[in-house]
Amino acid sequence: MNAVRSLFRNPPLLTFMLVALVWLVAGLTLRGFGAYGHLRYLLELAAVIGIAAAGQTLVILMGGIDLSVGAVITVTAILLPLISPAWDPTGLVGIVLALAIAAGIGFLNGAGAAYLRVPPIIMTLAMATFLQGLLVIVAGGSAVTVSNPAVILLGQARPLGIPAGVILWVVVSAGVLLLIHRMPIGARFLALGANSLATRLSGVSVTRNTLILYALSGFFAGLAGILVLGMNRQGYVGIGDPYLLTSIAAVVLGGTSILGGRGTYAGTIPGAILLVTTTALITVVNASPGWRSIMFGTLILALLLISGREARR
Amino acid sequence: MSTVSSSGWLYGAVQRRRNRGLGGLYLVVAAFLILYAVLFPGILSVGGFSKFTQNWFPLALVTMAQALLMLNGGITLAIGPLVSLGAVIAATTMEGVLGVPGGFLAVAFTGLAIGAVTGAIVAHLRLPAIIVTLAGSFIITGVALILLPRPGGFIPGWLSTALAGHTPVAFLLLVVILVLWKAFLATPLGLGIYAAGDNPVGAFRSGVPVERVKIVSFALSGLLAALAGLFVAAQTGSGDPVIGTPFTLNSIAAAVLGGVGFLGGKGTMRGAICGSLLLSVMINVMFFLGFPPVAQYVAQGLIIVGAVAVPELLGVWRARR
Repeated sequence: MNAVRSLFRNPPLLTFMLVALVWLVAGLTLRGFGAYGHLRYLLELAAVIGIAAAGQTLVILMGGIDLSVGAVITVTAILLPLISPAWDPTGLVGIVLALAIAAGIGFLNGAGAAYLRVPPIIMTLAMATFLQGLLVIVAGGSAVTVSNPAVILLGQARPLGIPAGVILWVVVSAGVLLLIHRMPIGARFLALGANSLATRLSGVSVTRNTLILYALSGFFAGLAGILVLGMNRQGYVGIGDPYLLTSIAAVVLGGTSILGGRGTYAGTIPGAILLVTTTALITVVNASPGWRSIMFGTLILALLLISGREARR
Repeated sequence: MSTVSSSGWLYGAVQRRRNRGLGGLYLVVAAFLILYAVLFPGILSVGGFSKFTQNWFPLALVTMAQALLMLNGGITLAIGPLVSLGAVIAATTMEGVLGVPGGFLAVAFTGLAIGAVTGAIVAHLRLPAIIVTLAGSFIITGVALILLPRPGGFIPGWLSTALAGHTPVAFLLLVVILVLWKAFLATPLGLGIYAAGDNPVGAFRSGVPVERVKIVSFALSGLLAALAGLFVAAQTGSGDPVIGTPFTLNSIAAAVLGGVGFLGGKGTMRGAICGSLLLSVMINVMFFLGFPPVAQYVAQGLIIVGAVAVPELLGVWRARR
């Protein structure tokens, strides 16, 4: 009984159990679901959401929100093929440039939130609107094909049968978990999310941490964009749109409070897998787009009831 | 006698305090309207004024729907889907046995019911509004897609002419809705929206039924958004299951432009209405000046940030002096 109760107090573990349960039931009832190739494919898709949601987790932990994640993914996926220099055979220069641009966009978000005092939801929303327009002006409406070898490697390579994207996700997860739980800056983020006034009065610079935080969020969104580009081999306007809401949903399904100060990236990881699994199951049912949308919404709501409840007053 | 005059004085003082901080917004709106009138004198005729207010009307309604929830400390991401659903229901019911009155009732009832259910989930299950409405937006979009998989349906021509013809009916409707809002604010329930948004615990201890207030505000918000959908359907003459999509972000942007805060209790409906007017004028001006749609996005992003940042920075600057 006590074990059950402590399980319900630990949202990340609860979400993990939920994923395991869904995979077990679906694997036993649906032909082909439990195949290694299919599960690997699910993890590969979850990696993109998970990496984009890494920045989102940090931002939400500090009590903000980043609505420009989708736009940053699109920007990276479209700009990377255009800015990769031809003289660089490895393609790493292009990746570094693209990540710098993504982090720069995030930094601008942070600057708007910190210096101009624009609420994060508005600042990042306006940034997404702005980028959406700018992108079409810069790149035109057509899709661009990637020829950067490093990006293609990232999207297609499978060392030891494990997709490179999943390995990247593992690395990102380890880094973010270390940052949140083992580094002073993670403690500062959490403290700012829990009570920004008290933290400021304790001598923590809100401005500095906000800038770092949003730059990190932009960086991770850029990383997700590069991975998506490698998997699709093509960048086009709107490629990042689905990842905005899924990144937020993954964070909340993982038990992180949308109000900030409480939660962990350890919950976002199973949250991302759960979302991808849900989508895959809905596709299996073979329903019309309308019913699929209804099922997706209902499932998110149901999952929320299990893992995303706010504390009682 | 003395009580009447003192309460009148108090009312005036409260209103003045609420208008403070909105002065800049009024000036900007006035400047944009004058610019608009200079560029396009057509707005000064009855027909031009009608067309202008018809473009503004649905945005004003969804901004009210959003501001209502933000004043109560919530937010909704389901505005766009609700507008679409309202349009779809109007376009599919009005030609059937229900007729136009039945269609009106169906749209109004759907908006109220969806809003009430969302509100009940947020209030009683204590889930964050932003996520519940996010999940809700998928469900509502799905329902709209099932009812009308592709644009179609039918709105009687006379209704389109009556609502979106060459008469300022839309503007008069907006005035009526604003008067109703004013009357609603005078009731304990209406005042409770502000009170529960500003300080839920304090409001609860003062006897405000916080949960019921939340459900009512979500229901009214759903009603306004669905009615905006009905108007959009009348404007276009048919239904479209995704026509409402831009309204979600625009409603938030307009409410924030109008000085409504995210944390509840801060802001005014008149500010939100001004914000929606400003956004609508901006979109119109850019459209008529021949900006390509993408440049409109760029400008819109810059203007929204500017409109929120400038008053903040002015406030900081004033405090330093």
